[in-house]
Parts: sequence; structure tokens; C-alpha cells
Amino acid sequence: MRTPAAFSPDDVVVGHSTRMRAIFDFVRVVSRSDSSVIITGESGTGKEVIANLLHHSSSRRHQPFVAVSCALFSENLIETELFGHERGAFTGAIKDKPGRFEMAQGGTLFLDDIDDVPLSMQVKLLRAIQNRTVERVGGTRSINVNVRVITGSKRDLKKMVAEGNFREDLFYRLNVLPIVLPPLRERREDIPLLTDFFFRRFAAQRGIDTPAISPAVRYAFGRYRWPGNVRELENACERIVQTCTCGTVRTGCLAANVLFGGGDPVAAPAAVELSVAEPSSISLDDRLREVESNLITWALKVSDGNKSRAAELLSIKRSTLGDRIARCGLSDHPAPAADSAEPEVRATA
Amino acid sequence: MVSRDQVENVLGRIRPMMQADGGDIELVDVQGNSAHVRLTGMCAGCPSAHMTLYMGVEMALRDEIKEFEELVVV
Repeated sequence: MRTPAAFSPDDVVVGHSTRMRAIFDFVRVVSRSDSSVIITGESGTGKEVIANLLHHSSSRRHQPFVAVSCALFSENLIETELFGHERGAFTGAIKDKPGRFEMAQGGTLFLDDIDDVPLSMQVKLLRAIQNRTVERVGGTRSINVNVRVITGSKRDLKKMVAEGNFREDLFYRLNVLPIVLPPLRERREDIPLLTDFFFRRFAAQRGIDTPAISPAVRYAFGRYRWPGNVRELENACERIVQTCTCGTVRTGCLAANVLFGGGDPVAAPAAVELSVAEPSSISLDDRLREVESNLITWALKVSDGNKSRAAELLSIKRSTLGDRIARCGLSDHPAPAADSAEPEVRATA
Repeated sequence: MVSRDQVENVLGRIRPMMQADGGDIELVDVQGNSAHVRLTGMCAGCPSAHMTLYMGVEMALRDEIKEFEELVVV
């Protein structure tokens, strides 16, 4: 069972990255609705924070917010956990116990790690969400529940549906308002802001002045891959603040993994990470369009906006070039040629 | 037998960052499969830094040099 810490919307750091700003704008819009929200993101990207924020910005904010990780329970336990049980339903069921759905009555239920719910349980979940009623284990009466369901998943449920590991009907029931949280390494511009925020918070908790941060530490933080995302950054900041003796955070304070890198080259944020060990989905169409758009921009630049010449350079027909310019949303007349006429193809092979 | 060069190689990866902070990690001696290092400069007096660097550097040395045994901060 999770006891959610007191949540304050002031504790949420929005960040500078356009992706996060877009997400927060979206949260503001959907907090007014009662539809299901599904939050997808790697571990530590802040799924529960967003769920909390949704609840606290909604009209249900004075009602309970119940968060539960579906990964914590075995197949049998999860049913009693979510739907509750009646006295005598099984050995040890000495009294009636309401489930999480009932506990969230009137408020919001956040079902995290929904990707870990076994198939057999998914059908029961679907029925509960669809009919807005639950039946306690061992009970016969239906209990009406008025809850807004938010789910969290670290895996792409659509892919799981395709692989047959997640029920399609449940997926569509949950996937009304999708929010995808980017991993921290894809929004490195927010690392300084988050670092300062965490240092300030932990220093205040310890009752010391916020330590200064050396440029070398900033560099190391900016370069490190943060596989545990914001949670890992938070943890690193907490550890440093708890052990700081001199008032300045320096290289000597850094843990081995941060110190010794494991970092991606910061200079190539747009490069596709094609990890074999931890494959994640990328959009081939988006990547191809990026390459296409870069090459067309280059051709137009070196031919001074002459499309026939640009088409020749790209070995395509003049008419095709027109279509592709439109498809990529490029302007026909590029900005005055820069000093360099090199193609800016960033997508590395 | 661990060579001085092998150890220096690993230390060299963090040295620029430590130097940027006005500190350094100095390789005093290599004895058998163990290395003796000294922290100098800014972080030298900080017990937390001793512990952190000690654990971090030793872990990195063991990762990179299979026969490495012990890091001693002197």
C-alpha cells in the first residue's frame, strides 16, 4: 500500500522544455474532464506527480486521491485490493474490507503499473470501469463507484495489445486522454532547474543554506544519462545535500555512476538512441521527415531558393520537390544563405 | 599485476572534472593489485568526498581491471 505524501501543486516543476510545457497545458485542459487518462513514461519520469496534479486541479480535489501500484500484488491479491472483499470470502478475511475503487469514491483512482495487470484481471477491471460498479470478492451486490480512473504504464500499451499481452477493449477504455512523459535525457535543458529545485528543497528540510553548485558538477549532471530519470536526480540531490560538509557541491560529492559518465554526448541531443539492451519505440516517419526536411533546406539554401536547381541536386522531379516542401511544412523561400552550405543532417547513421 | 598506467587510465577519466573544481586525485603508489591514492585540493578535507570517491573510484577500477583488488586512500 502506498501512502501518498502530502501533495502541493507548488511542488511541481514545469521546466523549460517545450514538451513538458505542452504536457502541463494539456493537463490543465483535461483536469476539467472525467474521462480516463493514461500516463505513459519510464520509471521515475513523474507519472504519479502528473496524476496528483490532475486530481488537484480537478473538481474532485476535495475528494480522495488513491494511488495504487498494480505491480505490488499477486494475481489473487490484486482483485481484493482493488475491489475489496466480504467477511469470510477466504481464509483470513475476518471482516469486510472496501477496495481501492470504493476508497476513491467521488475522487480519483490512480492505477500505476497497469501494464503489470494479468490478462485474467484485465477483464474484471474493464467491467468495473465500464459499468462504474464493483463487486467485492465473495460478495454479490454491486456497489456503484464514482471515480475518475487514471492509469500509469511504463510500457507502450499499444504494443502490448499487438503482442497479445493487453486486452484491446481495456486499452481503448483507458486510452481516452493519453499523456506521454519524456525521459529526462530527452529534456536535458530542464536538468539545471530541477537540480536547483531539489537542492533547495532538501537543504530547507535539513535546515542548512542551499549549497552552491560547481560548474563541473553541472556539467556532469547535464551529461549523465539518468536511467532512473527525475527520481534518480532527486535521489542524487538528496544524498549530496545530506552529506555536504563545505557548502559547495563539487566533483567529490558525485556518486560513481554520475562521475564516470555513462553519458550520451550532449552535443547530439537529436541523435536517435538505438539501444539494443533497452529498445524503446521511435517514430520512423518523424525521423525520416527530419532527414528529408534537413536535406531539402540544404538544397534550397545552396540553390538560392531555385526549386528546379534544388530538385536537380536532390535527384527528384521539380513537382515532387514542391509536394515534399509542403509536406514538411517548409517555407519556399529559405532564410538568406548562411555561411556554411553543408547539409545539416543530424540523424547519424 | 596491475600496472600504474592501467590505474592512471581510469583516474584520467575523472581528473579533468576534479581539476575543474580545484582538486585532484593523485596516484601515490601501486602495490601488487592495489593502488594508493591521495585527494588534494578542494575536496581533500571532506569526509563525504573521501567516502564517495573511494567507493566510486574503486568500483570503476574493479570494473575496468579484472584483477584489481583494493583502493587505499592515504
